[in-house]
Amino acid sequence: MFAPTAAGLDAAVAVLANAGERSGGVLDADERRAALTRYETAMLPGGRPSRGWRHDYAKLRFDELRYTSDRVAIPESTGALVHRGATVLTAPGSVVSDSRVTVLPLADAARDERFRALIPALDEGAQADKFAALATAFQNCGAFVHVPAGVVLDTPIQLVFAQAEPYADAIFPRIVVVLGEGARATVLERQIGEGAGLVCGVVSAQLGANAELDYAAIQQLGEEARVLMYRSAHTGAAAKVRWHLAELGATLARTVLGTHLEAGGADTECDALFFNTGFQHVELTTNTEHAVGNTHSSTIVRTAAADRGQGRFFGNITIRPHAHGSDASLRDDALLLSRRAHIDSVPALAIAANDVSAYHGATVGSLDQDALFYAASRGIARPDAVRMVALAFFEPAIARFPGDALREEIRTALDDKIDAATEIDA
Amino acid sequence: MSKGLITRDLRVAVEGKEILKGIDLTVEPGRVHALMGPNGSGKSTLAFTMAGHPGYTVTGGSVTLDGEELLDLPPEKRAQAGLFLSFQYPAAIPGVTVANFIRTARQAVRPGDLAPAKFRQLVFEKLDTLDMDPAFLGRYVNDGFSGGEKKRLEMLQMAIIGPKYAILDETDSGLDVDALQAVGKSVQALRASDEGKDTGFLVITHYPRILQHLPADVVHVLIDGRIVKTGGPELAQQIEREGYDGIRDEVAAAGV
Repeated sequence: MFAPTAAGLDAAVAVLANAGERSGGVLDADERRAALTRYETAMLPGGRPSRGWRHDYAKLRFDELRYTSDRVAIPESTGALVHRGATVLTAPGSVVSDSRVTVLPLADAARDERFRALIPALDEGAQADKFAALATAFQNCGAFVHVPAGVVLDTPIQLVFAQAEPYADAIFPRIVVVLGEGARATVLERQIGEGAGLVCGVVSAQLGANAELDYAAIQQLGEEARVLMYRSAHTGAAAKVRWHLAELGATLARTVLGTHLEAGGADTECDALFFNTGFQHVELTTNTEHAVGNTHSSTIVRTAAADRGQGRFFGNITIRPHAHGSDASLRDDALLLSRRAHIDSVPALAIAANDVSAYHGATVGSLDQDALFYAASRGIARPDAVRMVALAFFEPAIARFPGDALREEIRTALDDKIDAATEIDA
Repeated sequence: MSKGLITRDLRVAVEGKEILKGIDLTVEPGRVHALMGPNGSGKSTLAFTMAGHPGYTVTGGSVTLDGEELLDLPPEKRAQAGLFLSFQYPAAIPGVTVANFIRTARQAVRPGDLAPAKFRQLVFEKLDTLDMDPAFLGRYVNDGFSGGEKKRLEMLQMAIIGPKYAILDETDSGLDVDALQAVGKSVQALRASDEGKDTGFLVITHYPRILQHLPADVVHVLIDGRIVKTGGPELAQQIEREGYDGIRDEVAAAGV
């Protein structure tokens, strides 16, 4: 059983020790205790919710979660690095066809001299975020991706984390992605499965100069799962990181996305969408830091809620002193598809430099009745028109996701959510 | 069954104020009727009421399409019955491509009547007739379109759907001569096709100039919610010469 306490941490450390070489843990006990202390002392995120808000982080429950760490060999490669709960499934051969590229369980990379030095500090995020500290304290699995300088990878690297029924596993993955100078790759992180577990993890990406990373995170967990993820990237000169987030499942999904543009010419784009139905709650925070000048960021967020879904978006842009020539934009649009749905949108700009371009815009609205009448005037029945207009709402975000197949997959998933919603256009 | 798009003593209010005060109008299959009038006369109210816009309250009368009462039907059923409205200000639907929209519309009004390859052929034919770039199909419906592009898309939809009756609501507003010619060409092409040869048109306009490209068989003048005069094409020329004040004076003198 799992508990986010000192006793719970001792028990977790014992589980990891018992797993021996099969363990997915990479931090020592002292590092974990320090992280737990930060978790216990850090404030709850998000501030005071607005009236009518259903979710309260202070009341998160962790009982009935199973804490494990293991590995199992499977006979055939799946073309992805797959975790089932906190158990990594290892297969013969490499996850990717290019032998220059490394995709390993994080524990294997940490034990390998060739890669240990490439792994950044494993307390990334723990200082900044309460749940990143929790993820650090209890880390029990993860992945390491290394694309060396100059290597351009055409096919996406797939990292799959599956919650398997009947278990309710507590999974604390740490994903480390390192791209060398001029390297290019796409990483696709999938959170799937119907189990009622908890995923609380950290993703750290480091990009060398002129590197380009497309990082897509698609979350389609079961309706009782909870997921709390902290993802961040640090960029070298003229490097580019493009984040693509789709939160489609789980009863609670919280994502913090931090991008640090730390050298001139660095660039980031973020396209994020969530669609809450039933009693789902999604919270997304983007923190984009222009640490130096001549950097560019663009964030597009499309959120929708039907039934009694609730969501919050905090979009933060920070332009540091002397970061002249920064160009930042943030656009957040929310669509309420039922009377009892609720979305809060909180964009914020903190600008400490002159000669910058910074834009933010936010809308919260319901279905465009003119568009619906226009569709009806063409013979399109109302439910079909509602579906058409609601799905179209997400297109500006979907259009920036990498690959036709992934875009179609997202569209199909959104279409299925409209089918499953019980209060829509109501 | 009475063929035609027919209104009988149609009365309509908007936010409690009566706008149409008893309209009797018959658009026969294959004929072009022009409805002209000054601003605020109720022309667009008539168009939107016929199409079933929820913002307009019918307080009396009827609207039938080939004998079927339209006022009992929601907007999509009226379209499926064969009514088409070309909007003066068409709504944008970002995220929905023109291709997807016209395919869905055709399927809604004429389900399953054309195999995909035949439908595609039809679309490209109509694009060619309207002198429209096929790249249009990949753009989002009316999103970022110029005024002329919006009207061309209305005409494209009309050509693809092939309605029994088409209401063109101030289709000429904001258009240059080339765009007006394209509208006229599109209507003539529809009338020349098998699908459109019996289409009846109600052309709603402020100005007579569109009628140079789309000659009307009958012209009605709507002032203050009533049709005050009906005549042939020469009525449009009278309006060109004398304006609506001339018609008002004539009507007042006749005690109408």
